[in-house]
Parts: sequence; C-alpha cells; structure tokens
Amino acid sequence: MAIDVEKILRPIDNPIPPFPAKYMMLAGGEEMVIRQVSREDIPDILCHVEPLLHVERDYYDVVAARLISELLAYYRYRVQDEYVLVAQIKGELVAVVNGRLLNKDVGMSYHTVALRRGLRVGAHAFAAKMEYHLDIIGQKEVLIVAESPIGFRRWMIEYGLEKRFNMAHELGGVPSWALTKALFDKARETLVVGRRPVPKHLLEKAQAAILPPTDPPKAPADLLAATRSLYDSTGTALMAQRWKQEGRL
Amino acid sequence: MALEIYAYKCKKCGQLHYPFRMVCKKCGKNEFFEFDTVPLPKKGKLLTFTTVHNLPPDFNVAKLGLGIVELENGMRITGQVKIPHPKLGMAVIGKVEIVREAEYSKNYGMVFYPA
Amino acid sequence: MREVYAVGVGITSFTRLEYPISEIAAYPAMMALKDAGLSKVDHVYVANMGSARLNHQSGLASAVVDTLSLTPAGAEVIENGPASGASAIKTGFMAVASGMHDVVLVTGAERLREVNNLDATDFVATLSHPLAEYIYGVTLPSLAAMFTRLYMQKYGVTERHLAMVAVKNHDNALLNFYAHLHEKITLEGILDSPEAMTNNPFVAEPLRFFDCCPVSDGGASVILTSAEVAKKLKKPMVRLAGVGQATDSHCVHERAEPTDLLAVRGAAAQAFKMAGVTPGDVDVAELHDAFTILEIAESEEVGFFKKGQGHLALERGETRLGGKLPINTSGGLKAKGHPVGATGVGQAHEIILQLRGEAEKRQVKDAKIGFTCNFGGFGNNVVCLVFKRED
Repeated sequence: MAIDVEKILRPIDNPIPPFPAKYMMLAGGEEMVIRQVSREDIPDILCHVEPLLHVERDYYDVVAARLISELLAYYRYRVQDEYVLVAQIKGELVAVVNGRLLNKDVGMSYHTVALRRGLRVGAHAFAAKMEYHLDIIGQKEVLIVAESPIGFRRWMIEYGLEKRFNMAHELGGVPSWALTKALFDKARETLVVGRRPVPKHLLEKAQAAILPPTDPPKAPADLLAATRSLYDSTGTALMAQRWKQEGRL
Repeated sequence: MALEIYAYKCKKCGQLHYPFRMVCKKCGKNEFFEFDTVPLPKKGKLLTFTTVHNLPPDFNVAKLGLGIVELENGMRITGQVKIPHPKLGMAVIGKVEIVREAEYSKNYGMVFYPA
Repeated sequence: MREVYAVGVGITSFTRLEYPISEIAAYPAMMALKDAGLSKVDHVYVANMGSARLNHQSGLASAVVDTLSLTPAGAEVIENGPASGASAIKTGFMAVASGMHDVVLVTGAERLREVNNLDATDFVATLSHPLAEYIYGVTLPSLAAMFTRLYMQKYGVTERHLAMVAVKNHDNALLNFYAHLHEKITLEGILDSPEAMTNNPFVAEPLRFFDCCPVSDGGASVILTSAEVAKKLKKPMVRLAGVGQATDSHCVHERAEPTDLLAVRGAAAQAFKMAGVTPGDVDVAELHDAFTILEIAESEEVGFFKKGQGHLALERGETRLGGKLPINTSGGLKAKGHPVGATGVGQAHEIILQLRGEAEKRQVKDAKIGFTCNFGGFGNNVVCLVFKRED
C-alpha cells in the first residue's frame, strides 16, 4: 500500500469563518475593496510583491522576502491556518495583509504591505486584519511585531499595544506585542471603518482580476548622498527612546 | 509655595510686558534692566485652544492641550490646557507646573484648569 | 532706485531629494543661468533656514558659489524662517536697485527630509518664542489651529472651506510637474464619507492632515538684473516692481487682534505702493498656504477680499484656475510643497512663468501683474512681492 506523503506533510486547516468583504472611500474619492483571497489567487499576488525585494527603503525588502515565503507556503499547503486579504482600487492591487491563527484564542499577525503611498491604505488594511481576528473570528488577542519604524509607530505606539515579550513572534523570533480585545474595543472608532456589504459592481470588478499596482514603491534612481533618514524616516527611534526611559521597552 | 510667572513692568512708564523684552514697547525710554517683576494673575478666560496630536520628541503623551488665555488684568499668555471639554471664553485658573522635560532640563510654565 | 528685472528661473521637483543641500541649491541655479543665457553673476544670495542644523552644512552660500564655479562672486545666506525665499529676493532686489550689482542670483533650497519628521517638526517649532511658547510644546500647526478656531468662530469659516482650499490646490498641482503631491483628493474622501476621519485625521484640532502642507525638499532660483542687462538678453521683460515687508509681535498671544495678520497687511500695502498698483489690479497670486486657513486669511489681509469674506470668494470659485483671481496656481504650499528656504523663491518662479506666458496648462490668460506673499514664523515677519510684465 503506497503512502501518500502529501497527506502527511499537508496541514489540516481548522475551520474559520470567512472574511466578509468591505469597502471604504479614500481621500481621493476612490473606493477600495478589502476581500479575502483563496489559494488560486496567490500567483497573481506574488508577481506584484516580487519587485519590492529590491527596495531597501523602509524595510520593503525584508517584508517582501518574508511575505513571498508566507504566500508561497499558503499556496503550496505548507502552513497551518493562514489567511490572506487584499485591498484593491478598481481591481488594482494596493495592499496585501496576512496572518494566521496560532490557536483558537490567539492570532499571529504577519504582514501589512501597502503598494500605494499617501492614502492611508495601509492603515485601512491593518484595521481590517484586526477586525478579522477579534470581531469576526472572535479571538482574544493578536500578536504583532513591526519590521519597519513606520509600522512600529503606527501600531505599537499609536494603539499602545501590550508587551508579550515571553512569546517569540514567528517573524524572526522577536518579542511580540499584543492587541487585546480590550485595546481593540477602545480604538474601535479608528479600527473598525468601512462599510458592508460591498456594492455588486465594486465586488465584481475586484473579483474579476488582480491588476498590477500603478505606483508601487521603487528603489531610488540615484544612490548619491547617504541620509540619516534612510533607516528611520518617521522619528520612531526618538519615540522608542522615550519609551525606554519610561520602562516600557 | 506656589510658583509664579512674571510680567515685566517698565520703571519709567509702568507698561506691563509678557514675555520679556529689552525695550519698553510703550515709551521706549527704559534701559533694558529697568523693569520690575510683577506676578501674572492666575485667573482668566480661555481665548482659543487646540489639541495637538503631532508632538515634538520630548512629550510622553499621545495628545496635548494648548491654549491662549486672557488673564484678569488684560494680558495674555500661552499655556497648556488640561481641560477635558474646553469652550471658547470659559473661565480658567492657572498653576505653574513642569510643562516640558528633556534629558537634563525641566521647563516650568502655566497650565490651565477649569476655574 | 534702478528698475530690477527677473530674467532667469529654475526649479527642482519639490519632493524627497537625496542630494547634498548645496546641490539642491545649485541645480536650479544652473537652470536659471541657462534660462537667462548668462554664465557669470556679480553676487549670490542663498535662502535657507536649516542647513546648519539639519544638514551639517553651515556657510551654505560659500558652498553653493563654489559648486557653481561662480567664485569670486560674493555670497550670503539669507535666513528669515519660512520667508527666507522672499527675503533673499528682496535683498537681491536692493543690490541691483541700488546700483551696487548688475546681475544677482537668488537661489533658495531646503532639505528637511534628511532628518525624521519629529526632528523636522521640532526644528520648525523653534520659530516660536523659546520661553513663552516653545516650552509648552507649541508647534506651528498648533498656532495655526488656535488661529483657525477663532477665525471659524468670528467669520463663519468651516472645515469645508479649509477642505476646499486643499482640493483646489491639489487639482492645480496635478498640472505642475515639479509639485510634491500629485494626488487627487475630493471633499467626499476627506470630509464627507464615513471613512473620512481615518483618511484625514486631526493634526492639531481643528486642523486635519489635509489642511497642513507636506514636508518637502527642493530648490528654486531667480536671476535679477538691471534693465540694460535684461534688454540685452532678449527675455520677456518681467519687472520686480514692488517689495514690502512688515513684522509683528513674536508671541502669537501678543497680537493686538488674534484674528488679524497685521504683518501681511503692512507688507502687502508697502509692496503695492512701491509698484504703483492696487490689489484689484492683480491677475494671479501665490499665497503662503502652509495651512489651508492661511490662504483664506491672507487673501483678505492683502486686500483681494474684505476681511472675513475670503471664504465666500472661495465658495464662489473666484480663486480657482479659471476664476476671477486664481490663487496658488502652482498648487500652493499645500500641494506643491514647502521646502522652507525655497518656498518664497518657488512662489516667484510660478509668478514669473505666469507673466511670461510659460505656465502651460496652469496659464492664467493675459496675466500682467502677479503677487506673492511669503509668511515667516507664524505671521511675525512677512515679505510680499509684486511682479509686472512690462512688454
């Protein structure tokens, strides 16, 4: 009797409720749809994340490398309980967020990548991810880490995440931070935005195809002068210094 | 002992100044140390205010209330405002406290509370 | 005083520039020299506010004059906070008008994005009074916010009016290749829709994200010459006809009337008087909209509209491209960007292009008289310029 190795290697996903698509209006008046994608859609996303491997600014390269591995693992059935959400404007891919469920009560947030800058796309996408874990799936908390100072500022500092430093996060094994249900409820006004259900024409356009981003982050044309802001353009280091003095770090 | 914020009174013509200037803005005839110090009154009304969300690095808080207060004697001062729901024109009372702390320096200034 | 003409202009993109500050100042200067058809100047003025503190470069003017190979011409940095640009133009004007020099290069540059944005905010906050404002955590947006609150109460300006200024300027910037922000925004997206508060969060209440200008790097240059040199160069004869400046109390709380901008009023009046024109004669203007409320307030204080009625003119569409008096056709500071030292020179650059008929899709038809207002500190040092097309 032949042994089906794939049956042994492939994880059996626990049943989780799907993410109901939502939409919101951005500053420019365009409507953005955030929806869950399934395994078949992954190759259409991978090709747009690949170019970010060469953008050093704001740690896009590290994030892209890790995101590609997570998406591939999801596609090839080598990760337990992962989900992937995408944000699209007129079908064009503008953000990818993903994560997985560590167990029934604790979520493990992976990445939030915005492929269009300046319109708070990342903020909306992150909020949708938190809503998924805490409201829709009904978990108790989500473990989060940030690779770039922008992420640290927007999540750890702005939402006042709690330290869970005894838990190593799957992204690099670094100490985790947590967004608890209590913190989520406190920030509900900023974290739960967007409307449902998505109007038919918007949803159909989004589901029809994942179109390439029109203005993705690119490596700078000229690598002339080194700048101090290369590793921290948002001043997060200074805020972190303050936190250290307060004993919060 | 309560701390005070001082106005500067010209010894020649009595004009009050806050903050300090070297030359009296009314008579222009004093020489720069010819000022008496007079404590500013603490009671006044809130002329205008704001809540700042994007703060400079020294501040440990997510947001900060600032305001301009017109004091009892007609002079105005900028200060921090620790009032949950401020309204234009409301009566306020000030107290001198630490308003900004950097590594080695403490700055004292006026903080306003509801009167 | 002799007549002074603007014969060459140059500008960089106002965005994030990863070049040394001296090159950000020199690049548009090279373009201005090329535009004018000149290769030597008598003197260089560099407008800049932060090169010593942010970019580790003091004596910027000496660096600029050398990198352009313009030595042994004299050179100085002119610093007047956000009004450095217009102040440098004013100084160049005086140099030519007095007869001391025939050809002067004025170049403004700033590189704020070399540091992170908390440091940049703190740096700009140093414009305030150190003991009576700075120690409280006062930032420029907080001063503008307190001013806005009173303006809203006194004259009925609303959040919507502020948002309309931002939308108008963003639309204009879409037509300006060098602008920092090429981002269309709509009133619905930033104010009306249910998600507007996430798209447009408060910076200092009641001012929101889209009411405040971005943090930009950039450079702009103008070449000023005497009438004889200008005639020989065969460029359109754009004359710097009026220059005005006025100051007001350092602390915002000491202003006589908190909703007045007396320095703007005084500077504009001086500039108009020198040029021999009135506000009603102006065809196109660049005002200093570091915060959207300032475009409305300045449009009243310089004399385009009655005090307290600027927002009504905005509502009627008078200040948009195609309106009776287009304001900030370049996108203004809000959308074109605000590299502090370069801003005033950038405003002059736009007006000169307009008066020459070279503003492409932003062109105001038959523009003959242009005006700029460069606002230093929070209204305590303002420089206004009036340009006239003479041929």
